[in-house]
Amino acid sequence: MSGLSSSANLWSAIRREAAFLARDRSVLAWWLVVLCLSVLAVSAGLSEVQQQNATIARLLEADAADRSAVLKTQSDWGGTAYSSFHLTYDAPSNFAFAALGRRDDTPWKHRVRMLALEGQIHERDAGHPVLALVGRFDFAFLAAFILPLVLIVLLHDIRARERVAGRYDLLVATAGRADRLWQMRAALRTGGVFICAAIPLLVAGVMANAAAATLLAATGLLLVYLLAWTILCARLAASQRSGELILAALMTIWIFVSVIIPAAGRIAIDRAVPVPSGADIILTQREAVNDAWDLPKEVTMAAFVERYPQWEAHTKVERPFAWKWYFAFQQVGDQKAQALSDAYYAGRQKRDRLAGRLAVIAPPVLLERSLQMLAGTDLRASLAYEARVRAFHASLREFYYPKLFLDEPFERAALDSMPQFGSQPPK
Amino acid sequence: MARQVKLQAEQLRVLRGGREVLSGVSFEVAGGEVYGLLGGNGAGKSTTLSTFLGFLPASGGRVIVNTRDVGSDVAAARRAMAYLPEAASMYEHLDARENLHYFLQLVGVGRGESEIDAALDRVSLAGEARGIKLRGYSKGMRQKVAIALAILRDTDILLLDEPTSGLDPTAIDEFHDLVRGLADAGKAILMVTHDVYGACQVADRIGLLRGGKLVDQFAAPAGGRIETETVHRAFSAKTNP
Repeated sequence: MSGLSSSANLWSAIRREAAFLARDRSVLAWWLVVLCLSVLAVSAGLSEVQQQNATIARLLEADAADRSAVLKTQSDWGGTAYSSFHLTYDAPSNFAFAALGRRDDTPWKHRVRMLALEGQIHERDAGHPVLALVGRFDFAFLAAFILPLVLIVLLHDIRARERVAGRYDLLVATAGRADRLWQMRAALRTGGVFICAAIPLLVAGVMANAAAATLLAATGLLLVYLLAWTILCARLAASQRSGELILAALMTIWIFVSVIIPAAGRIAIDRAVPVPSGADIILTQREAVNDAWDLPKEVTMAAFVERYPQWEAHTKVERPFAWKWYFAFQQVGDQKAQALSDAYYAGRQKRDRLAGRLAVIAPPVLLERSLQMLAGTDLRASLAYEARVRAFHASLREFYYPKLFLDEPFERAALDSMPQFGSQPPK
Repeated sequence: MARQVKLQAEQLRVLRGGREVLSGVSFEVAGGEVYGLLGGNGAGKSTTLSTFLGFLPASGGRVIVNTRDVGSDVAAARRAMAYLPEAASMYEHLDARENLHYFLQLVGVGRGESEIDAALDRVSLAGEARGIKLRGYSKGMRQKVAIALAILRDTDILLLDEPTSGLDPTAIDEFHDLVRGLADAGKAILMVTHDVYGACQVADRIGLLRGGKLVDQFAAPAGGRIETETVHRAFSAKTNP
């Protein structure tokens, strides 16, 4: 019976405070702001994802037409390998609209051919200058950095404003257990923020065919994150200090966990884990390829067979130019850049691991990273795409090397078994 | 038959910031009685009230509401008392009825519109003012709404902190009549004030606080009032030595 009575009391308190809140225009205005920002964030995300998908579809069509046209003019395997470009791409996930993450600063499409891969894989389109300035306004950014500010505004003076208005003592004396009153008010304000932020996310998720489990996980993360900020705000708001002082304290915490820790952490991680730049890799590979023209062909072929010993018996080049020699020095160019490339790959992974650890003390970063992981837009997804491109390029070499080194006659029918890039990782 | 004691301070001692602001204060208020706690600024009147409400803990002694120590169950003590703060403020964006509904719901008391209107009648809040948001009210009108809340809560005990400070003379007289009527109906009323004349008009007993100590007490003779001049003399002597 007491359980029933207490749940009836709780329900009655919720209705009372909800009705009270419905008359507070400032709270309603903030909820409306959150709703508008959330709609804006998911709309921008949906639009970007739609644009990326449209780009991929357009490029797929153009890629097929271009390769088909090129292949018609070819009469040998070397020319075919040289002239055939292949589109590789990483299609955005159905939840990418919420957290575009690394898709803004790492490439998600390439046009590769049989030449050295290291010179192709680190190329990307020039970033949008505005994005470089302020970053992407997506749902993850809204949730991680903006919503805590709204909660701070709504909750910092939840008690102090009553003291300033001279109502505090009357409220506490009337409510009996006033802690419940403050908790209820804070919970409802936060609940409104959560609903206004989550509804556009869920609607967009349904529109984008995002998995229910992903949407559930994302809203769960959002709820836990907002509750954590609510508890912090409520704790500080319980002090006897003025609203202005509490606001200043909360803003200091926000600046610390949203700006100072991530920025200082990034500097520290960059210093602790030096990573070669993509440009260094490209330069190393291209210099190796350029130098190869002047090197004795035996030197190049010796380096090549270190990686592909099965072609050792077919490396003799008697003419001034042979495609197998040309593609061998492309391969050797990649081999020369491999140490740098491996360091680049490992360094990015290590930096990402350290950033993950740092995120534990910077909750906004933790939420943003978690949403990016759910959206498949984190570094792991980016490296997985890179691995798929490498695997595809390796399969092109596997396709062409027998034809080049065994000097197979050119057959159009064999083109049908040319590897095709799939957006999923090869099995 | 002896009236039941509803409020009791026993050798109450309160320290704030290492300074003793109440020292060995003892008094009691029974049902049907108005007790006026009189004193100048800083005498410890509001501090006494705050300990009954559980806003401040007693550093020594006890404060008892309805035979129970306030410290043992603050929420129960607060439920048993209606409190009228000095310059009571309610929500500016609500009208009188909406404010009363909200505060009554807060304490879990349901009252119908007719009961609310009856309470507003008792405090003489004009009918046309009842639908106006409180931001359009004078200080006295706001005080009347807070008094109506105390009436509507219908508790056995009322704590009044400078209750007439915002009222005009006519409203003060009406308020005194109201307080007297509530006491006659059996309520125990503790009224903190520095208004000697007002206290003498309405109180059955008066305690005089000075420097955190209860230095004098006066009781009304049977069927009469406490003599204002006597209390005033004591008040002036004690507050202006």
